[in-house]
Amino acid sequence: MKQANRAGRFFLVPALLIIAFVLLFPIIQTIVLSFGRNSTSIFYDYEFAGLANYQRLLRTPRFITALNNTILFTAVTVPIELVIGIGLALVLNRQFRGKGLVRMAVLFPWALPTALNALMWRWMFNTEFGLFNSILTDTGLAVERVNWLGAIPIAMASMMFVSIWKTSSFMALLLLAGLQTIPDDLYEAGSVDGATRWTAFRHLTLPLLRPAIMVSVLLRTMDAMRTFELPFNLTDGGPLTSTETLSLYSYRAIFQYVNFNLGSSAIIIQFIIIMAISIVYIVTLRRADQ
Amino acid sequence: MFSKRISVFIASLVLGLFLLLPATAQDSVELTLSIGARGFGDAAPVLIETCEEEVGGISVEWERISDVPNESRSIYVTNFTARNSKPDIIAVDVIWPGDFAARGWIAPIEEYFGEEALAEYIPGFLAAAQVDGHTYAIPLYIDAIHLFYRDDLLEKYGLDVPSTWEGLIAAAETVVAGEANPDLAGFISMWAKIEGLFMNWLAFFQGAGGTFFDMDGNLAINNEAGIKSLSTMVSMLESGVAPESILTFRPNDARLLFQQERAVFLMVQDFVLAPLTADDSPVKDAVEFTRVPYFEGKDMTNTTVIGGFLLAVNKHSENVEAAADFIKCFTSYESQVQAGLIQGKVPTRPAVYDDERIADEAPGVAALGANFVYAFARPSAQTGTAYPEISEIMQTEISAALLGEKTPAQALADAEAQILSLMP
Repeated sequence: MKQANRAGRFFLVPALLIIAFVLLFPIIQTIVLSFGRNSTSIFYDYEFAGLANYQRLLRTPRFITALNNTILFTAVTVPIELVIGIGLALVLNRQFRGKGLVRMAVLFPWALPTALNALMWRWMFNTEFGLFNSILTDTGLAVERVNWLGAIPIAMASMMFVSIWKTSSFMALLLLAGLQTIPDDLYEAGSVDGATRWTAFRHLTLPLLRPAIMVSVLLRTMDAMRTFELPFNLTDGGPLTSTETLSLYSYRAIFQYVNFNLGSSAIIIQFIIIMAISIVYIVTLRRADQ
Repeated sequence: MFSKRISVFIASLVLGLFLLLPATAQDSVELTLSIGARGFGDAAPVLIETCEEEVGGISVEWERISDVPNESRSIYVTNFTARNSKPDIIAVDVIWPGDFAARGWIAPIEEYFGEEALAEYIPGFLAAAQVDGHTYAIPLYIDAIHLFYRDDLLEKYGLDVPSTWEGLIAAAETVVAGEANPDLAGFISMWAKIEGLFMNWLAFFQGAGGTFFDMDGNLAINNEAGIKSLSTMVSMLESGVAPESILTFRPNDARLLFQQERAVFLMVQDFVLAPLTADDSPVKDAVEFTRVPYFEGKDMTNTTVIGGFLLAVNKHSENVEAAADFIKCFTSYESQVQAGLIQGKVPTRPAVYDDERIADEAPGVAALGANFVYAFARPSAQTGTAYPEISEIMQTEISAALLGEKTPAQALADAEAQILSLMP
C-alpha cells in the first residue's frame, strides 16, 4: 500500500513540474515584480522598491477609474445575466418540439470567441454604417444617429449589453444542469399539496437551485472582474477611459509604457479583490449547505 | 531480401539528408526580418530575394507581423525583454526608435553606413532614429498625413482647394449645405483616442505656429497656438463640419466613409491613396490630395506630420553586421524605386522622387513627395521612453476637450502638468 503511494507520487512529479513552470512561476514573478523598480525580470537588474508602485497606483486617477469601471461592469452585468439565465434555463428545461435546436441556439453566443464577438458588435454599433442606427433612422424611431461607442456613458452601457447577450447563455447552461438534478416527483408532490406555479418556483426550484446559482454567479463574477477582450476590441477602453477595465489598464501599463512593475502591482490588487469576493461566496455557500 | 535492400537504401538516404541539411544551413547566415504583411506587401518577397543575392551569404526569413503598430509593439516588448536574438531585423514605427534605443533593445548601426550614406535619406525622418549622435534605424518608407478631398464636389461649387483651416471649414459648409444630403460629412479624420488623434492635433497646432518643445527644449503646448488648434477642432465638431462619429474613427473607418462618397475632406495617412484610387473605388476619379492646411497668416509653418517605418537591428542579434548590410540593400535607391512601383510605398530618399520610372508609373507617389518639404516629426526622439505615456496623456486630454468634458485651455493645462511630472 505504502509502495503504491510512493509510486503514485512519483508519477505526479512531471505534472506538478509543468504546473509549477507555467502557473507558479509567472505568479511569483508578477508578485516580485510588483515590488520592483525599473525591472522587467526577476533574474537580472532587479531593484526592490517596497510598496512604491502600490502607493503610486492609489494616487493614479486612471487606475481608480479602471477599478470603478470594473466594479460597475460586474455589479450591473452579473445580476442581469443571472435573471435572464434562470429564465432561459426554465424554458430549456421544459419538454417541447425542437428543444435540441433551441438549446443549440441559446448556446451559440457563448460558443463565439469574445474577441470575435466584440468585433462583430463593433460593426453593428458603428455610428455611420451600423445595423442599429440604420434600423433606428430607417424606421423613424430616431432622427439623430446614436453614438453607441463614442459617447459617455452610453459606451459602457453598450459594452454591458454585449456582455449580457453573450454570457446569459453560459449562466443558463450551468443553471439548466442544476435544474435537471431536481426530481420531478417533488413538483408532483407540490401540486398535490396545491402549490401554484409561482409557489413551486419560489419554494422548490429556487432553494434547490441555490448551489448551481452560487457556482454560476461566482464564476461569472470572477470572469467579469477580469474582463479584457471585450473593451480591448469593442471600445479600446474609450471614450477617454470610461470603459477601461483593470485588465486593460494593466496590459497598457506593461506593454505600452513598458512599466512591468506598475502593471504587476495593478494585477496583484485585482487578484486580491477577486480572491476576497470568492472567499465571501464560498463561505456563504458552505453556510447554506449546513 | 529485396525489401531489406530497399529499407537499407531508404535508411541511408534519410541519414544522408540529415547530414546534408546542417551543411547547407551553415553556408549562409540566417536572418529573420519582421515586417507587416500589408505594410510592405508584395514588395517584401521581391526585395528579400534581390538583397539575398546582392549581399551574399545570407538567407532571410520573412516574419509577417501585425500591421497595427500597438499589436506589433506588444510582441516586440515581450521579445526584447526576454533578450531574444530573433528577429534580427525589425520594422519600427517612426515613434519607437528613441524609446527602443533608450531601453537598449536596438543596436546603433551608423558605423556600417557612414555619414555620406546616411545623408541620402530625408533628414527630418532620419532624425527620429538619432539619439546622442548614434543612428539606431534606417528609414524604409513614409506614411505621412495628407488632406484628401473630393475634387468633383469642390468644382461643382466653384471652390478652390483650401490651404487654410478657415478656408476648409467654409468650403465644407458650402458643399454640405448645397448637397443637402444628411449622409454627407464635411470633414472626417481619425479622432478616436489613438496615436492618430495626437498626430491630428499636432498638425493643427503646428499650423497655428506652435511647436511641442520650444527652442530651449521646454514644453510649449499651453499657449495661444495650443488653445487655437484645440478650439478649432472642438468648434468643427460643434458646428457639425465633423460628424460626432469622428470620435470613434480610426484611419480605416474614416477611409471607408470617404470611399463611399460620404465626406468632402479626409485627413489621414497616405496609405489610403492606394485603396481610394483602386479600380473598384467609387471615388477613384474624384479624389485628390494636398498638404495639411494651416491657419490664416501661418503659411510658413510645417504641417505634414511624418509617419512611417524604419528598419532597426535587434541588439541581441548574433549577426548585427550582416543585418545592417541587408538593411543597406533593402533601403537602397533601387529597392525604393521597386517598392514604390510594386506597392506604392513612399520613398525615404529624396532622389527617388525624381526617378523617371516613379514619375511615369507611380505619379501619386511622386506627388506626395513634394509635400515633405513641410514635414515635421513627432517629439519621440527627444522624449525617449516617456513618449508612449506622453502621447497617451495628450490623446486623453484632447479627447476630453472634444467630448466637452473640459475646455481646451483646461485640457492643455492638465496635459502640461502631467507631462512635466513625467519629465526629469
